[in-house]
Amino acid sequence: MITQIIVNGLLSGLVYVIMALGFTLVFGIMRVVNFAHGEFYMVGAMAVLLFYGYLGWPFFVAVATAGIISALIGLIVERLLLRPLLSEEMPGMIMTLAVAITLQSAALLIVGPSEQGISRPFGGTWTLLDARVPWDRTIVALCALVILAGFYSLLKFTPVGLAMQAVAQDRETASLMGIESKRIYAVAFGISCLLAGLAGALMAPIYPIGPYMGEIVIMKAFVIVILGGLGSVPGAMLGGLLIGLCESAVATLLNPTAALIASFGIVLVIIIFRPTGLMGRAVR
Amino acid sequence: MKSRYVILAVAVLAVVPWILDNRYFFHIATMATIMIPLAISMNLMLKIGQLSLAQGAFMGLGGYGAALLTMRLGVPPMVSLLTGGLIAAVVAAVFGPIFLRIKGTYFVLLTFSFGEIVNLIMQDWISLTGGNSGLYGIPKFSIFGFRLTAISHYYAMGLIFTAISFGVLWAIERSDIGAIFQSLNENEMVTRSLGGNAIAWRIAAFVLSALIAGIAGGFYAFYLGLLTPDAFGMRTLVDLIVMNTIGGPASVIGPMLGAILIVPLPELLREARQYQLLIYGISLGVFLMFFRQGLVGLLRLDKPGDRP
Amino acid sequence: MTPILSVQGVGKRFGGLHAVSDVSFDMQHGEIFGVIGPNGAGKTTLFNVVAGYFKPTAGKVSFEGEDISGLPSDEIARRGIARTFQAVYNYSKHTVEENLRRSEVIARRHGPVAYFKNRNLAAVADSRRVADFVGLSSLMNNVAGSLAYGQQKILGIGMAMMVSPKLMLMDEPAAGLNSSEKMVIGRLIRKLRDERGIGILIVEHDMPLVMGLCDRILVINQGKPITTGTPAEIKADARVIDAYLGQDYEFA
Repeated sequence: MITQIIVNGLLSGLVYVIMALGFTLVFGIMRVVNFAHGEFYMVGAMAVLLFYGYLGWPFFVAVATAGIISALIGLIVERLLLRPLLSEEMPGMIMTLAVAITLQSAALLIVGPSEQGISRPFGGTWTLLDARVPWDRTIVALCALVILAGFYSLLKFTPVGLAMQAVAQDRETASLMGIESKRIYAVAFGISCLLAGLAGALMAPIYPIGPYMGEIVIMKAFVIVILGGLGSVPGAMLGGLLIGLCESAVATLLNPTAALIASFGIVLVIIIFRPTGLMGRAVR
Repeated sequence: MKSRYVILAVAVLAVVPWILDNRYFFHIATMATIMIPLAISMNLMLKIGQLSLAQGAFMGLGGYGAALLTMRLGVPPMVSLLTGGLIAAVVAAVFGPIFLRIKGTYFVLLTFSFGEIVNLIMQDWISLTGGNSGLYGIPKFSIFGFRLTAISHYYAMGLIFTAISFGVLWAIERSDIGAIFQSLNENEMVTRSLGGNAIAWRIAAFVLSALIAGIAGGFYAFYLGLLTPDAFGMRTLVDLIVMNTIGGPASVIGPMLGAILIVPLPELLREARQYQLLIYGISLGVFLMFFRQGLVGLLRLDKPGDRP
Repeated sequence: MTPILSVQGVGKRFGGLHAVSDVSFDMQHGEIFGVIGPNGAGKTTLFNVVAGYFKPTAGKVSFEGEDISGLPSDEIARRGIARTFQAVYNYSKHTVEENLRRSEVIARRHGPVAYFKNRNLAAVADSRRVADFVGLSSLMNNVAGSLAYGQQKILGIGMAMMVSPKLMLMDEPAAGLNSSEKMVIGRLIRKLRDERGIGILIVEHDMPLVMGLCDRILVINQGKPITTGTPAEIKADARVIDAYLGQDYEFA
């Protein structure tokens, strides 16, 4: 049973990491809590519903398209709605709330309130020790690893990634070095939405798809990111895996609502005593 | 425009339901008398520069508190209504000194988490609250033996509550307390160097906002006769944010106007619930971008800082 | 006679850096006391420890015999210790009169409890009196942010006076002022002591001002005290000259 718990935990944990990564990226670079993050996840899932579910495109093509659409919407939102408000903390955050509400209502109008499912692209399971591992979740986890590797290389080895790190650390110094924060914001937000969209797209066959599906996503991302430290990429990775494992253990052994209460309780304690989380650096 | 004209206009508007004598209008109007104080309580926190997402939790504490006191312990509704508010205020007083040391975005996230915890407890403690299925059979409100049965009675009661909470916060806004809050917002370091006890004022504001939200919750419970946890969740908080943004956060008249505009919407759009969300989202965005000062700014209402 | 301010063995460490170590001095009521030292000497850190922005990692600070080490800045103000800021700090969008009025309101009605106790305020009268004292009466209706730098600094002093201080801490009051503005501030500082009996602790870079104004001076360098004495004694002290060697200072 333990192997099963661990396997389940790691599989979901990897996806959580992808979900949380974008959220923490936006906070680290733009200092904005993106309340609409869950809705970009939903956009990804909805896109797969359309392309794979209704139009019959190959699964991975649908996933990639979903990610791109999500990123594009994100770029438009950032350019038109967020950038003018970024100089102040609150308005930017509330604007993301407005975006969240609008995206949700758009989904409601287009798709209707009820949830839908799509057929799983991969079936069957394989066994690892005494655990049964579904193939589709394995593929999702592998994709998550690939995405993670790609993101990591982007951050560490490309000029864009290094620029993002610079802006996250110290905006003013970065601009003195010729890095245009505005462009970096756009890139960061776009990548964040790309990641959220991909996560939603990959998970589309596994969970029901509906306009409200983003809400639980942002809750989880929120807990993970606070735990790991707002703005910390390694923190999001650590947090995602931790939460995945803990959830798996608690779901198998206990009561899920108590687990939620406990996670928010942990968030409370962290914000009060160690706002930088496990691995974050102090926010100015 | 002088603020008193707007207040007068609202007072006149308040009489309309009796003239129309329509149950539907009374219902909307009564809901408004619940939402206005709630929106005002959020505004009080905004006055000290904090967005508090704990208002829903306080409303819930007051609501369940009042309902359960009357239902399980037979406490007279008037007493339990006020006690419910007090419960919320005490919780705020306990957590305030800890919470209010945190500022800005983190405070928002903190109150959000706090609100979620309270909400989850309300959902999970089924034996006490009835959980998600709801707490049913909350008795009708009665004062000194007189039972409020007609909807117009509740409206009258709500009106009194709204008038009092608006009056108190309006007075605060125009008084030296309002000036102190402004000073804290504009330059906390200077204000503290003059002896201004920042944390004490913040706690006071938090406690008062909890008291108002708690009483609003209790009134809500008695009016509707039933309570479910999702009435105190993110949806309500979003409503309050929209009301404050559209109305304008600078003056307590703002959330009042915002509430008057927003409350009828779900009723008017009952056939097209999806459009309600869309209107919220778009108007929130539009006002944030172009009309930051909200209706208060658009109407150029004179503000407490203005001197003759 | 209890000194108004007693700093005993105060040290402040940030991680591995000892910004201030083992500073001790006593200040008497009605004294104008200066703290000087080369750049990076730790003057500002010492100032912030006394003013309540930092908790000392060693030693203690006493005000009229009572330990105030590590108290929050607003508590310190309520005890009767005012401070001014090196940069210009006021309610810049409001008029001078409003700034002064607010300062008084905040000082008298500083917390929810005090608010309801102190109902009667001869508020406007006091703002007028302070404005007269500092010389800003003609500018009462001007917006604070539009005043000249020197005038804003004077406003800062006026606002600080509302705390009814027995002791005023001034952080580089002459910074950013031209010579005539410096003279005005110097006169005002002396007036505060002469007419109101307020003790003044000044952290400053401007030598002529400090030498001309202060009764006694503490010299610190690299966080440690060098010596304390009258301006004449300081000027002649070899250690002080040594510390400033290579720096461009006139002892005037």
